[in-house]
Amino acid sequence: MNPVSVVGERHNPAVAVIGKIISYLVFIGWALLTILPLFWLGYSSLKSNEELTRDIYAFPRDLFDNAEDEYRVITADLNTILDYDPVEDPRERIIVESTSIAPGRRLMVHFLVKEEMPPEIQALEVGDTLRVSQLPSDWQRRISRKTRWFNYTSAWTRAGMTTKFLNSVLYAGGSTFLIIFFGMMMSFAVSKLPFRRLSAVVLGVVGIGYLLSINSVIIPLFLMLTGVGLTDTHLGIMLVYIAFGFPMALLLGSQFMRGLPSSLLESATIDGASYFQAFWRIIMPMTTPVVITVSIISGLGIWNEFLLVLVFASSEATKSLPVGVYSFSSLTGTQLGWQLAALVIATIPVVTIYLLYSKQLTKGVVAGAVKG
Amino acid sequence: MTKRDRNLLWIFFGFVTPGMVIYLLIVAYPIFYSVWLSLTDFNPNSGGSWNFVGFSNYAIMFRDPFFWHALKNNMIVIAVSALGQIPIGFILAFILYRKMVKAEGFFQAMVFLPQFLSTIVIGLLWKRMFTANGPVARLIQLFSGNPDAQFTMMLDSSTVMIPIGFALIWIYTGFYMIIFLANLQKIDTNLIEAAKIDGASEPQIFTKIIVPMLAGTILVSTILAIAGSLKGFDLIFSMTTQGLQRNNAMVLPIFMYQTAFQDYSNPLRFAYGAAISNTIVVISMALILFSNWVSRKLSPQGVE
Repeated sequence: MNPVSVVGERHNPAVAVIGKIISYLVFIGWALLTILPLFWLGYSSLKSNEELTRDIYAFPRDLFDNAEDEYRVITADLNTILDYDPVEDPRERIIVESTSIAPGRRLMVHFLVKEEMPPEIQALEVGDTLRVSQLPSDWQRRISRKTRWFNYTSAWTRAGMTTKFLNSVLYAGGSTFLIIFFGMMMSFAVSKLPFRRLSAVVLGVVGIGYLLSINSVIIPLFLMLTGVGLTDTHLGIMLVYIAFGFPMALLLGSQFMRGLPSSLLESATIDGASYFQAFWRIIMPMTTPVVITVSIISGLGIWNEFLLVLVFASSEATKSLPVGVYSFSSLTGTQLGWQLAALVIATIPVVTIYLLYSKQLTKGVVAGAVKG
Repeated sequence: MTKRDRNLLWIFFGFVTPGMVIYLLIVAYPIFYSVWLSLTDFNPNSGGSWNFVGFSNYAIMFRDPFFWHALKNNMIVIAVSALGQIPIGFILAFILYRKMVKAEGFFQAMVFLPQFLSTIVIGLLWKRMFTANGPVARLIQLFSGNPDAQFTMMLDSSTVMIPIGFALIWIYTGFYMIIFLANLQKIDTNLIEAAKIDGASEPQIFTKIIVPMLAGTILVSTILAIAGSLKGFDLIFSMTTQGLQRNNAMVLPIFMYQTAFQDYSNPLRFAYGAAISNTIVVISMALILFSNWVSRKLSPQGVE
């Protein structure tokens, strides 16, 4: 070892230790900064509105510790939402409303089937109160479960999450599939067929799309697609996603396919396979890495996209999850607890996928960003 | 042209046509439509009648105080990205690359996670965190001992960009960290070992070896940051409430959206909105060319 390195080693340890400490502080701090807000969101989504106003940091209690909750008998009025179909099930109900969770707002309401109740409860008049513990045990369990998930069931049904969830899956999944399919077809043509100049034109024209985003042409898109009646439709929204997915698919796809040996294609076509068969059976299976990268970037981008659906979707039937969550949270009647539950519902699928596949997802994003 | 060539040409078109038709209609055509629209007085309230008016929409825009306000906020967002996210992301990547922390997989995943969440969800979450008496205000109360302390930055037009800038750094730093890390891993480790043997300290390795070698990555990141910051809509839109607060924090895409899609009585809303969109595209291209030019000036051999 030469003397210089000895000098280096001698003054290094203290500096290195300080460097290590700072490094750990930075990363632990950052990890906490990521986790704590999400953790707060998670547990707060299980709190009632009253609890959230009382103490913003306390752990949830009201909705769980519900065995002794007090309820008041009420009459049905316009803003009570029935949880049963009175035509299918005409049995008489005693309607009760919580006196502690959103009292008087007809949000925390149960419909007790009168014939299943003990006589002292059947005898209750409107305005009388009862405790959950007085009810038969199966009703206690049912009410306890409904109370615990109050925010989630309310958010899910009142924000129409089922439709929005399916729409988001359709937009992200359907558009990504077609981006890959048509995008790889174009990539195949420009990289494997012997038309240099035509290929350059196609690549150049589609490449311009890199400089643009949906946001930059949203006004003409809105006017055009309104003209042909496609704005508030799944097809119209997906067409835009597909078109804006092509630049990246074509760039990454053609780059990758150029690296595949042409002999593969030649031997296949000599054996009598059509070009489409050769593309589908031989080239496509070999492009899996690009397909994964493009799917991750497109799928994730579309899943989280906001402005297009905000502008195009005028009815609830075409809204996606982000737009649904946004408009739900800006309604004045929405309880804070429901808003938080809606945020959790929108977050869980993505976080789950991320935790399962964080390595592949990270690689995909890097590949897309660096080459783009 | 032989018969085989002609057949092959048809095959070429067969492969390219479905994608190209969709692309030309949805991406290429609207570019021209948008330019045309911005040069007319297209009136959606009277069935779409229009006349050419030259650059008068742009002239209106340059006199509109909202435009300058939104542009200023956009510049703040760009500054936060270029001077906040990129350097911090670089330093975090360097720490991971030099293996100065254990459990690097976990830390990397935690910094990168917000990238995957919907920006709308993040915006609504931070909006909630930053309400006047929300969780952040409660922390201030705990630490300052003043039980009435409130978090008012979101309410004041001169400070509203601070919490927004914080959220921007929270979301996007991980993205740049990952890009820098991927490029750091391509560097020949012998170079760093040799420098170490010669007695270089970690900060010296960073400034003398790493930064110059990643000049290209820094440029690409800057371009991504500029382009992303100029078109960014979702975060500020969801962190603010419609009305005064959103106007205070307004950036150009929100200005465009409010003009075109919320100002129903304005007959010029689409024409004026298109002028704003086109301006955003022009500014972002100009800034990208400018950063390219700067980096060429700084490194004489150019950036590949």
